[in-house]
Amino acid sequence: MVFSSIPFLFFFLPVCLILYYMVPYRWKNSVLLFFSLVFYAWGEPVYIILMFFATAVDYCNGRLMERFDKREGMRKLFLVCSVAVNLSVLAFFKYADFLIATFNGLFSASIKPLGLGLPVGISFFTFQTMSYSIDLYRRKVPVEKNYLDYLTYVSMFPQLVAGPIVRYSVVNRELRSREIKREEVGEGLFRFMQGLFKKVLIANQAGALWEEIRALEAGSASVATAWLGALAFTLQLYFDFSAYSDMAIGMGRMLGFQFPENFNYPLSSVSVTDFWRRWHISLSSWFRDYVYIPLGGNRKGTLRHLRNMLIVWFLTGLWHGAAWNFVLWGLYYGILLILEKYVWGKALERLPKICGHIYAVLIVVVGFVIFVFDDMGALGGYFRSMAGCAGNEWWGEEFLWYLLNYKVVLAAAVVLAFPVYPWFKGKVELAGEGIKTGASLLAMAGYAVLFVVTVAFLVNDTFNPFLYFRF
Amino acid sequence: MKEQMIRKWTALLLMGMTLLLMFIFVISDKKEFSENENRYLAKFPAFEWGKIRSGEFMEGLESYTADHFPFRDFLMGVKTQTEILAGKKEINDIYIAEDGYLIEEYQKPENTERIGNILKAFAGELEGEELEIRLMLVPTAVYVYEDKLPARAPRRNQMETAEQIYEISGIERIDCSRDLLAWKISAQVFGQRTGELYYRTDHHWTTLGAYVGYTAFCREMGLEAVSLDEMETRVVAEDFRGTVYSKAGDYTRKGDAITIYTNPMDRLTVKYVDTEETSDSLYNLEYAEVKDKYSLFLDNLHSLIEIENETADSDRELVLVKDSYANSMVPFLVRHYKKIYVFDTRYYKQGVSEFVKGHPGVTDVLILYNMNTLDTDLGIRGVY
Repeated sequence: MVFSSIPFLFFFLPVCLILYYMVPYRWKNSVLLFFSLVFYAWGEPVYIILMFFATAVDYCNGRLMERFDKREGMRKLFLVCSVAVNLSVLAFFKYADFLIATFNGLFSASIKPLGLGLPVGISFFTFQTMSYSIDLYRRKVPVEKNYLDYLTYVSMFPQLVAGPIVRYSVVNRELRSREIKREEVGEGLFRFMQGLFKKVLIANQAGALWEEIRALEAGSASVATAWLGALAFTLQLYFDFSAYSDMAIGMGRMLGFQFPENFNYPLSSVSVTDFWRRWHISLSSWFRDYVYIPLGGNRKGTLRHLRNMLIVWFLTGLWHGAAWNFVLWGLYYGILLILEKYVWGKALERLPKICGHIYAVLIVVVGFVIFVFDDMGALGGYFRSMAGCAGNEWWGEEFLWYLLNYKVVLAAAVVLAFPVYPWFKGKVELAGEGIKTGASLLAMAGYAVLFVVTVAFLVNDTFNPFLYFRF
Repeated sequence: MKEQMIRKWTALLLMGMTLLLMFIFVISDKKEFSENENRYLAKFPAFEWGKIRSGEFMEGLESYTADHFPFRDFLMGVKTQTEILAGKKEINDIYIAEDGYLIEEYQKPENTERIGNILKAFAGELEGEELEIRLMLVPTAVYVYEDKLPARAPRRNQMETAEQIYEISGIERIDCSRDLLAWKISAQVFGQRTGELYYRTDHHWTTLGAYVGYTAFCREMGLEAVSLDEMETRVVAEDFRGTVYSKAGDYTRKGDAITIYTNPMDRLTVKYVDTEETSDSLYNLEYAEVKDKYSLFLDNLHSLIEIENETADSDRELVLVKDSYANSMVPFLVRHYKKIYVFDTRYYKQGVSEFVKGHPGVTDVLILYNMNTLDTDLGIRGVY
């Protein structure tokens, strides 16, 4: 089930919340668990078993680690066991066919692909449970003794299918005892609504523009149109993904949890390094804490640092999908980050800020073109269109057509990609009582109107894709 | 402090709206058919383990909730008005064109070669018979009224696709596209012979458009077209809101008028073979009262209709293989044929070529389709 759908908004979520608020505290986790399982089973009625399996393995390993608390060797064994099981599950369900296809290609063999469907959210929940095992081994978190609480943590529906990757260390206290405050419920609701509006009114519309441009016959899109398409996809992915995080964080607050922020206006970055501090933060910090630093980070000489960077970015790319373009996309960033660190980072800082903005956005937009085409031929063709080498014009009538049709969405998306909203909120905070009241009345009208319009777009069964089925 | 209160009420308002809509959804009567969209709405999916496992049940539930959502028609209007307000000139593949026209886009054709080969095979089946076979591919409004499209709208030439199909099929053509364009231009230049060739809110041509198509047919077949002045004219509906209207969802638009023509000299017997009904008229005016008014031509969908005209000009017999565009042209054709067999190949499954071989009286075959649905619904596959 996607958050931005009628059944979720008008049945699943209200029913879940009403029950959740009605029952006494000791039952709240059970209600949450029940609804989370229904939520997952909705999209993956069979693969839910996989989640039971992965969580049971990590739970048992956790208990065993506690049991053999004094014997470091045993503890290490259980950690290895947990990580190995999780990575095997991930490798089998997500990467088996990719490996087979690559093997077949290299050795002109003809092993039959398994053709397994990818379980939704598998990359998210395996990473979460691994964070638990590793943190437990590092003695950063206490052991979880209640399997159902542990399962509740992993399966919690707001963050199950598209992140943020919530670590056990962040929520373990709240899992046992949390307070549900009225103001928090209200603020969570607003955050959820903001995410919903972003997804339906901006991401889906930008996505529709991208699909139109992508469908143009090769070579018939002018250079300007090809760039507009790439920009549209960038905006779609950013607004879609950050909207999902907004909705997850909002629902978390309504349930009494504080999830970590996942996006911090990445499209307003001034460098690639800056971008990765702001984009999908829970993933990049996961790789930093569990892969990059254990490998030695940047403390063991330049050569080791380069190696570590390339490993981390190879894996980051691969995490996004089982295809070579994702690997290429990861390495593209790995190399750019290395270059920024060792070659032009300092120079970039001395340039006016606007240069940094332009540089970062160009790299990100080009990067997402690599991200979106898993067919290398199509990728090459699109790059040729963008470079004007496909025999296409620089600029055509159709560019203006798309620009004019989508001008409002594009303008809104570009403005909201910068921290305009927090800036505006800050201004209002400092203003007098009259302006504050006016602003909150305006917000009230805005929420009500946007809610109706959003529902109208959902009812009309327009383009409403779920982008993370490959993650 | 005031501001905290307003925020609280905003949250309560949003929750209230959600719960209210949920409540209305649960208690409201569920419609089976949407007049506005002219389609059956989704039914509640069957609750079976197999369908749950495959996810079909959940998908069904999602369409069900979207289809029966409270104030659905109003919300669809809200969506369209929002898009128009945002300056969109194309909504759900419909161009918001000038002079109040809603014009369906011509999608990239996917089946040109396949269609050409199907027609070629059909003509091959009938080789050796003494027949005049013609293919008539009719452009839709997006071609004839190209000048009404919004500025810079992407264009794709329907008649180029038609040209390919004519060539692959090898069937002699009747090209009415220039007649339609000429009629439009002379209407603009001389200010006479006015009237619309296509409905503003529907994907069909008007009876006037059909008449222009008929004159092209007569020219190619060496027949003398009946003048419109000799026909009886009647406006049977003033508020026809067709398929394009529903698709665009702009409910502020006015409807079209439908004019029908009858030749007082004709003495007709219309036999609907599939329902075994007989009539003396080519029109079923009961449809003028409902939403789907275009169905008044030849009583909507029938796999085979036999039309006899006692007072026809000749003893010739015509087999007409067609889509709904032909339904409004038949009233002009009946003058020239003693008998017309009208086939809808989406429903007629016994093979038209077999039929023709079994009826030696047949002298002419006309295949008539419009360029939009030809590619998308592929009804033409049933031709042989």
